Amino acid sequence: MKLTKFLAAAFIGSILFTSCSSDDDFSDQPDEPLGNYDNGILVLNEGGTGTVTYISEDLQTSEQAIYQTVNDGDDIGAYAQSIFFDDDLAYIISNGSNLITVVNRYTFELVGKVDSGLEVPRYGVVENGKAYVTNQGDLTDGGVDDFLTIIDLETLEVEQTIPMGAQDEALEYIKEEGGLLYIQKASYDTGNKIAVFNPTTNTVDNTIETYTYTGTLYGAPKDFGLNSFEIEDGFIYSLSGSYLEKFNLNTLELESSISLDYEGGDAYNIDIEDDQIYFTVANSVYTMSINADAAPEDALLTYNTNSAWGVMYGFEVEDDRIYVADGGDFVSDSFVEVYDLEGNLLSNITVGVGPNGFYFND
Amino acid sequence: MKHFLSYILLLGVIASAFSQTDSITVLEEVLVVPTKLKEFSSGQTLTTLSDSLLLQNKPSLTSVLNYNTPIYFKENGLGMVSSPSFRGTTASQTAVLWNGININSRFNGQTDFNTINTGSYDAINVRGGGGSVIYGTGAIGGTVHLTNNVDFKRQFSNKLYLGYGSFDTYDTRYQLKAANKKWSTRVSYSRNQSENDYDYLESDNYNRNGQFYNNSLNAVVGFRANSSNTFKLYSELFEGERHFSLIRASENKTKYQDINLKNLLEWEYSNRKITSITRVAFLKEEYKYFPNIETDSYTFGEANTLIGKYDLSYNFSEKIKLNTILSHEYTDGKGSSIPNNFRNISSGALLLKHQVNSKLAYEAAARKEITQDYESPFLFSFGSGYRFNDYYKLKLNVSKNFRIPTYNDLYWATGGNPDLAAEEALQYELGNEFTYKNLKLTLTGYYNDIDNMIRWLPNSSGYWSPSNVDEVATYGGEAVLNWKKQFNNHQIAINSTYAYTVSKNKETKNQLIYVPYHKATTSVYYAYQKFFVETQALYNGEVFTRSDNNPIYNLNDYFLWNVGLGYQFKPHYTIGGKVRNVLNTAYENVENRQMPGTNYTIYLTLNF
Repeated sequence: MKLTKFLAAAFIGSILFTSCSSDDDFSDQPDEPLGNYDNGILVLNEGGTGTVTYISEDLQTSEQAIYQTVNDGDDIGAYAQSIFFDDDLAYIISNGSNLITVVNRYTFELVGKVDSGLEVPRYGVVENGKAYVTNQGDLTDGGVDDFLTIIDLETLEVEQTIPMGAQDEALEYIKEEGGLLYIQKASYDTGNKIAVFNPTTNTVDNTIETYTYTGTLYGAPKDFGLNSFEIEDGFIYSLSGSYLEKFNLNTLELESSISLDYEGGDAYNIDIEDDQIYFTVANSVYTMSINADAAPEDALLTYNTNSAWGVMYGFEVEDDRIYVADGGDFVSDSFVEVYDLEGNLLSNITVGVGPNGFYFND
Repeated sequence: MKHFLSYILLLGVIASAFSQTDSITVLEEVLVVPTKLKEFSSGQTLTTLSDSLLLQNKPSLTSVLNYNTPIYFKENGLGMVSSPSFRGTTASQTAVLWNGININSRFNGQTDFNTINTGSYDAINVRGGGGSVIYGTGAIGGTVHLTNNVDFKRQFSNKLYLGYGSFDTYDTRYQLKAANKKWSTRVSYSRNQSENDYDYLESDNYNRNGQFYNNSLNAVVGFRANSSNTFKLYSELFEGERHFSLIRASENKTKYQDINLKNLLEWEYSNRKITSITRVAFLKEEYKYFPNIETDSYTFGEANTLIGKYDLSYNFSEKIKLNTILSHEYTDGKGSSIPNNFRNISSGALLLKHQVNSKLAYEAAARKEITQDYESPFLFSFGSGYRFNDYYKLKLNVSKNFRIPTYNDLYWATGGNPDLAAEEALQYELGNEFTYKNLKLTLTGYYNDIDNMIRWLPNSSGYWSPSNVDEVATYGGEAVLNWKKQFNNHQIAINSTYAYTVSKNKETKNQLIYVPYHKATTSVYYAYQKFFVETQALYNGEVFTRSDNNPIYNLNDYFLWNVGLGYQFKPHYTIGGKVRNVLNTAYENVENRQMPGTNYTIYLTLNF
C-alpha cells in the first residue's frame, strides 16, 4: 500500500469515526460491542443455583452460566428471580439467598453485591438513583410481613425498609411510570391490588383493585386474582385469570374489560409490544390488538412441552420476536424457543435449570 | 477452648472417681440379632454391627452405616438432613425398625439418619432387599434394625464414653446394665452436640449456622415371670435441635426441632410348641421448622401412632414352623398444612419356615393389608438357602414389597391425593456365601422392579399433587468381605463392602440423581497387646445431580480415610484419638454443600 493511499484512508476513516461517534443514532454503522455479552439476549435460569445464559442476537451461538465463567466460579445465589437494569448495570435478584448481584450488563463482571436487608426479594426497579425492591419475607404468612426496600446504589446498602404487606397482598412486580411506582400486591393468583407508590414521599398514594373471582380448589372456595400487569400509553392492563382489564393511569378508573375464556385454563404473562397485546394460556400464545374488544379465538402458536410445572415459565415479546421459556423438570437443563410474530419457530436453544425471564442487550 | 478445658477436667474427675471400683466385666463380642430377623433371612444377606463397632464411629446413624455398609447417603452438609439410598432406591424405600417397630416418619415416609443417635443400641442389623411381609412399608431397598438386647445373665456394668472433637463437638454416651435371672435393665443416655462451623476447603467461607445438638434417653426393662412368660418394656425419648447450614451468608437462618418418643411393651409366652408375642407400641413424632430464626414463626407436624401386634408361631416339628402376625395401626396426625386426620391399617401375615435338613432351608410368606385410605397390594416372599459344603452356600430370594402413601401424600391441604395406591416392588436376589477359615465373602446380585412410584406433580389447577407415575428398575451387585485373625498378642479384623448400583427411570433410561454407580468401604482393626489402630476408608463414586444425566454437573467421586489410635490403660479404660479425612480431601456429597477437611476426636471409654 502506498503511503498516500494509507493517509487518505486514515483521513476518511477519521472523518467517519468522528461523525459516527458524534451521532449515536447513526444507524448504518453497527454498534461497537460494549462487552462479550452485548448484542444478544440474556436468559435468567432460576436454578438450584441461578445462572444466566447469553444468546447472540442472530440466535446462532449461546453460552451458559456466563456470570460464573467471568467471575471465577462465584455465583448469583439460589433461585434467581429477576433482573433489573440501570444504564450499564444489571441487578440480578436471588430470592433464595437474599442477594442482589450487581454486574456490568455487557461484560458480566461483578461490580458489587447487596447482601443484607433483603428477605426473599422478588423484583426491582431504579428511580432517581435508588433501587426499589419488593420482598416477600415469611412465605407462610400470606403476605402480611412483605416489604419494599430502598437501596442506595452508591453504597449498595438498604437505606430504608417500608412494610407494605397485608393478608393476601404479597408483593410481586414493580414498574415505574411517570415518576410513580406501580406495585403488584398479588402473588400465585392470590390478591387483587396494584399499589401506586410515590417515591418522593415514600407513601402509597392510591390502590387499584382488579377483578377477582371465586373458584374452588380441592372442594374449598378460593379467590383467584391478579397475575400480571403492563403499563402502556397511559393505561394499565391487568390480567386476572379469566379477565383482562384496562385502567386509566391518570384517573385509575376502569375503562374496559374483556373476558378471556379458554378451555386450556387461565391467561398469564401479559406483554404489550407495538400496540399488540400478548398473553399465554397453558403452552399457547395469543395475541390481539390493543384496541380489540373481544378475545382472540385461536392461538398464535403452541409449543411442545413435557414440563409438569414449568409450562411458559418465562415469556417475552421484543423486537418482532416471541420468546418462550420452558421450566422443564427443574432438575436438568431446559430450553427456550424463539418465534417470529407469525408464530414460526426460529430456534430452540438449550439454557440452564428453570429459565424464567428474558432480558435484552441491544 | 474454655469448654474444652473444663471438659478434660471433668474426664479426669470421673476417671479418678471410678478407678476405685473393682467390679470388672469384660465385654465379649456378642452379635445381637433379633430372632425373627435371624429366622426369616434364609435367602438374604444380613450384616450386624456390634456396639463396640458403633463406638468407633461418630454417633449418627449416617456415619455408622456410611462407613460399614453399601448404603449410600445423601447428606445435606455434615449433620444436616440425611437420606439413604439402599440398592438404588429412594429415601422412603428403606425401612428403619426400632426393636421391630417401623419408625419411618408418618409424614414423609423417611427416616432422617442424622436424627438417630446410635449410642442407644446394642446392635444395628442391616439386611439388603425386600422385607415388607414382616416389616411393612418402605422395606424395598432394605431394612435397618435398631436393636436393644434383653438378657437375663447376671451382671452389673456401666459404660461411659466421652469424646471431644474439632468444631466443638461433644459426644457423650453412657450405659448402665443390671440383670439377674428375673430382671434385666438397661438404661442409656447419649448426647451429641457440635458447633459444626468447619472451614470450607475450596473457599474462604465456613459452615455457617450448622450447629446442632441431640439427646437420646433409652430404657429397657425385662422381667421373666417364669420359664414361659417374659415381659419387656422398651422406651426411648429423642430430642434435638439442628440449625440448617447456609450456602451463602445472606440466606435466612433456619432451624429444625424434633421430638420422638417410642414405647413398646411386649409379652412373650412360649412353650415347646408355641411362641406367642403380644406387642403394644406407642410412637409420637413431632417437629417444628423455623424458616427464619429471627422470628418465632414456624411450621409443624405432629403424629401419634398406636400399634397392636399379635405374633403366634407354632412348631409342627423341630423343622417346620408356622407363624402368623396380625397387626393394627392407628395414626392420628396433623400439621401446619395437614388438617387433622386419622387412619387405620390392619394387616395379616402368614409365614412358614422349613429347615429341610442341615443343608437346605426355605421360607415362604404372604401379607395383606386392609385399609380405607389407599390401595394395598398382596405381598409375598420366598427365600431359600442351600449349603453345598463347608465353603459355599447359595441363597435365593423373591419378594413383593411396598411403600404406602404417607400422610403428606394423602392429606396435604392443597394437593393431597386420597386416591393413591401403594408403591410396589418385585424383587429377585441371588446370594453366594464363601467361607474359608476366618474369611467370609458374600456376593449378591439383585433386580428390583418398582412400579407406581409416587411423584408430586402439578395437576390441572396448577397445584402440586402426588400420583403413581414413575417406574424404576434398580439392579446391581454387592460384595461383603470379613476376615478376622488372632495370634499371640495380635488381633486383626478387616471388613470391606463394595456396591455396584444401577437405578434407572424406565421411561427416560436415565440413572436416578444422587445414586452413585460405585461405593466401597474398608475398615481395618489391628490390636497388639494394649494398643490398637483402626482405619476406615470410603470411596464414593461420581453422582448425577441432573435428571437428564448431563455429566458437566456431576459431583466428583471422592476418597476418605480415617485413622484412629487407642490404648487400654487399665483392663477396662481406653483412651484414644481419631483423625478423620486424613488426606484433607475437599468433597461435596450434595451440590454446593462442602464437607469438612481433616478433623480430630479424642475420647475416653470407661467400663466399670
